[in-house]
Amino acid sequence: MRDEGKEIPKKLPGMIVSFADMAWNKTGSWRYLKPRYENKTPPCSAGCPAGEDIEGSLRLLAGGKILRAWALIKIENPFPRVCGRVCFHPCEAHCNRGEYDRSIAINRLERFIADAATQKNRRVPKPKIRRRERIAVIGAGPAGLSCAYHLTRLGYPVTVFEALPQTGGMLRVGIPAFRLSREVLDAELAELLAMGIEIKTGVRLGHNLFWTDLKGFKAVFLATGAHISRNLAIPGEDIPGVYRGLEFLGQLNSGQKISLGKRVAIIGGGNTAIDVARSALRLQSEPHILYRRTRNEMPAFNEETIEAEREGVEFSFLTAPARILARAGQVSGIECLRMELGEPDESGRRRPVPVKGSNFIIEADNVVAALGEEPELSYLDQEIKVVRGLVATDAWQRTSKLRVLAGGDNTSFRRTVIDAIAAGKKAALAIDCFIQERGLEALWPKIQIGANGAFSMRQYLKIKDRGKTRSAEIVNLSQLNLDYFAPAERIKRPALALDERRQSFKEVNKTISQELAGQEAGRCFHCGVCNNCENCYLYCPEGAIYPQRTGLGYRIDYDYCKGCGVCMEECPRNAITLEEEER
Amino acid sequence: MGNHAVSYGVMLARAQVIAAYPITPQTQVVEFLSEMCADGRLAAKFIKVESEHSALACCIGAATAGCRTFTATSAQGLALMHELLHWATAARLPIVMANVNRALAPGWNIWCDQTDSLAQRDTGWMQFYCDSNQEILDSVLLAYRVAEKSLLPAMVVYDAFYLSHTSEPVDIPEQEEVDAFLPPFQPPYFLDTDNPRTFYPLLGPEYYMEFRYQMEQAMEKALKAFNEAGTELKTIFGREYHPIEYYRCEDAELILLTAGSAASTARVVIDQMRVKGYPVGLMKIRLFRPFPGQELREALRSVAKITVLDRNLSPGIGGIFAQELKAVLVNSPKHPAVFSFIAGLGGRDITPQIIQQALEITLANDRPVAHSVWLGLQEEMINK
Ligand SMILES: Cc1cc2nc3c(=O)[nH]c(=O)nc-3n(C[C@H](O)[C@H](O)[C@H](O)COP(=O)(O)OP(=O)(O)OC[C@H]3O[C@@H](n4cnc5c(N)ncnc54)[C@H](O)[C@@H]3O)c2cc1C
Ligand code: SF4
Ligand code: SF4
Ligand code: SF4
Repeated sequence: MRDEGKEIPKKLPGMIVSFADMAWNKTGSWRYLKPRYENKTPPCSAGCPAGEDIEGSLRLLAGGKILRAWALIKIENPFPRVCGRVCFHPCEAHCNRGEYDRSIAINRLERFIADAATQKNRRVPKPKIRRRERIAVIGAGPAGLSCAYHLTRLGYPVTVFEALPQTGGMLRVGIPAFRLSREVLDAELAELLAMGIEIKTGVRLGHNLFWTDLKGFKAVFLATGAHISRNLAIPGEDIPGVYRGLEFLGQLNSGQKISLGKRVAIIGGGNTAIDVARSALRLQSEPHILYRRTRNEMPAFNEETIEAEREGVEFSFLTAPARILARAGQVSGIECLRMELGEPDESGRRRPVPVKGSNFIIEADNVVAALGEEPELSYLDQEIKVVRGLVATDAWQRTSKLRVLAGGDNTSFRRTVIDAIAAGKKAALAIDCFIQERGLEALWPKIQIGANGAFSMRQYLKIKDRGKTRSAEIVNLSQLNLDYFAPAERIKRPALALDERRQSFKEVNKTISQELAGQEAGRCFHCGVCNNCENCYLYCPEGAIYPQRTGLGYRIDYDYCKGCGVCMEECPRNAITLEEEER
Repeated sequence: MGNHAVSYGVMLARAQVIAAYPITPQTQVVEFLSEMCADGRLAAKFIKVESEHSALACCIGAATAGCRTFTATSAQGLALMHELLHWATAARLPIVMANVNRALAPGWNIWCDQTDSLAQRDTGWMQFYCDSNQEILDSVLLAYRVAEKSLLPAMVVYDAFYLSHTSEPVDIPEQEEVDAFLPPFQPPYFLDTDNPRTFYPLLGPEYYMEFRYQMEQAMEKALKAFNEAGTELKTIFGREYHPIEYYRCEDAELILLTAGSAASTARVVIDQMRVKGYPVGLMKIRLFRPFPGQELREALRSVAKITVLDRNLSPGIGGIFAQELKAVLVNSPKHPAVFSFIAGLGGRDITPQIIQQALEITLANDRPVAHSVWLGLQEEMINK
């Protein structure tokens, strides 16, 4: 009943109501815990080697802002159309929703966003070249082009030297068109090159380009991939009708005619083996994959193996070739040995050991050896260290030679497109820091995303994240308030019917519709990132939370926030942190 | 069924916030209302809650914000609300609730018994007892009207299964008729950021009593408001409601007093007894709070005996209606003898024979034979 200046009625009111307000009672003084808005790192972003802001792009997509979603992705990754097709999406394996029901179909959505932006004729603008230091990139695969892209956007003049007549690296000569159509690849590469990157094709370092020619460049990035097929090392390897995996795919992808017999035996269990088999199927042959371990140990991406199985590729596991047989100077079959799994080897997989006397023959008209690839590094100069057949680098792609960096398949056994893109991006960062004399080690914690080596280019460019930065803490499922979410089915992926697949090299997977994309984006939890759901505002028992004038985010009035923690508890996505009050 | 009659009543009353937790035999009330909210027939906010305590807490919050609110429950659910029942009254919030009379556990029993609502008699809620589905629907409308007039919460009470799950024709009034009877709720004070007030603040000994006195006065006001509204209802819907309903009481020497659906059975028995020449009548008590004491005293002035049939029990004292009646009569110089009977606990049928037995015992004796007589008891099974 305390009152200041207001008229006090002579009679009691009909309800137990005081006519004075309680503004004088600054309940903030009761507080010993203090809530604070703090966006954290969603695990999907940390799972993407290129550190894409997946949560942010899904939020934009769900809001119908497809082009802005695309622009956000493009800050981190120059190849969303390619990745939306062939990336094996480690992000999805990290997605919190995977532990809840099924992970968000991030990869499908990335493809949708990127294709939609292309349809709307959106291209990355040509950046202004502001710097004088020229940079050389050797190899026009995803690693080299990613580095060139980011450096160009940072204002550097970049020249890319490529040995082959065309750019794209393994995207072009390795991955077949039924997984990545040539139009899509060409369009995304053309967009990149139109940014003002200088390209010199038909130039191979160590062959018609030499280190002395690179003197004028401030830094060199070596992104030459791994293009030497491993040998079978068994008798009969040179019989006509025996191919190497990359040789086979290279000829096919460059449009050369390949004459195959009916039965094609493919030796190996990696991506190359699977792609060769699925290609042979489309050339009307009957592919048969021989692998010396079991299905579980296959290094190929499981999704692709499943597709190969569905398409009718035959598999023989625990089968190792001993000798290629010939009849009339042509391949007629393979003599094989049965294997069994023994003790684990250094890769942790159980080593296959032959069963004595188990020899048997598999008939074949062709044999393709797809045992994996190794980098060709004869062009390296003495100062650059090589370890286990790979160029040795530090965490930021720097080799033992100053101003020379390397990344992609030639530095790592994690041979994926997105790892190559990430390596190129990191090299661009290291080069910029080197030239601008910025301490990379000190800067890194401010831009890193998770502990797997990803970082945010957006953060590096200091593009404001709504004025807030994200904490490095990764939000896991147990930190979300699941009361606010309900199970929802993941979208089914549209694909070419099985019986149509053998007819052509048409892309197997299709781009999803806008409707499905919106629906799927709506499943995202937005782990650790405020999406203005209003819960904190509605729940604060003190009414101490106010929406910001900009319409984005909220403000806490600490004069009245009593530290009850209800906002933190009711935030579905852990975007509020509660800390001990310091007084 | 009776449960749907409630839902229609709430819809016609244009409730704005509904918060309830399902419990047998109330479930269909909530189910139907949630459907109405979902399909747009009722523009109300339906709040799903995890308990009856929360349900009433939601209503208290919403009513403080100036909304017309509704909840429904039964037995254990009502018991769980106990703290907040007091709260709603002292806060003077005209919340309306439907309570389906169901027996309290243990001895888990979902059947009819009035003890659940009668046990809440001191919480300050008005209680309207019904004996037909039509009366249920009309009582919901009456409840809002009287509650908002007096700023007291009201409970519409009806029997499990006998009414909640039994179908009978009900006249559903037109929306315009209801709107004319029940204008939008206009609270004297409500949460309003433009006009900040402090609701339910600390209240020391210097004012507490006055507010309680105002509450007691409001009960008197409510009694008047009920009579007024009950009469007005006749002009609109053609049906009339008063705190007590009299059946063949004009020249009666013996009156049977009861509440709830047993009254319907009682009418039949009264008719039969009249045929046999007994001067009996029935008073159905509709309003338990505020208790129509004055009216009862006057109505029973020239009656010699009264039979009270209670489907409830206050252990250690007996039937609750009988007690209440004795309390209001005790100071009248020449009041009738009150014969108290207990029957039908936990859903056991109150048959015409049982009612007749009660009347016959009353007729045969000058004074009550026991403090309360239990009818239909299986005596042979009882451990003495
Ligand atoms: C058949 C196959 C299928 C695959 N499928 C997938 C997939 O679905 N998803 C996925 O993520 N990854 C896949 N991979 C792996 C992926 O293609 C590679 O990890 C990735 O392309 C590596 O990129 P890079 O830039 O390091 O090398 P590359 O793409 O190999 O590019 C290196 C470039 O450097 C050029 N070059 C080499 N030496 C010189 C030199 N001395 N001078 C100048 N230029 C030179 C090469 O011609 C080439 O263009 C597949 C690989 C193969 C072989
Ligand atoms: S690039 Fe790969 S890992 Fe990154 S978001 Fe796209 S699908 Fe996921
Ligand atoms: S739910 Fe959304 S934000 Fe969370 S991990 Fe998955 S994609 Fe990322
Ligand atoms: S409760 Fe909603 S609005 Fe509040 S911080 Fe969390 S996500 Fe943002």
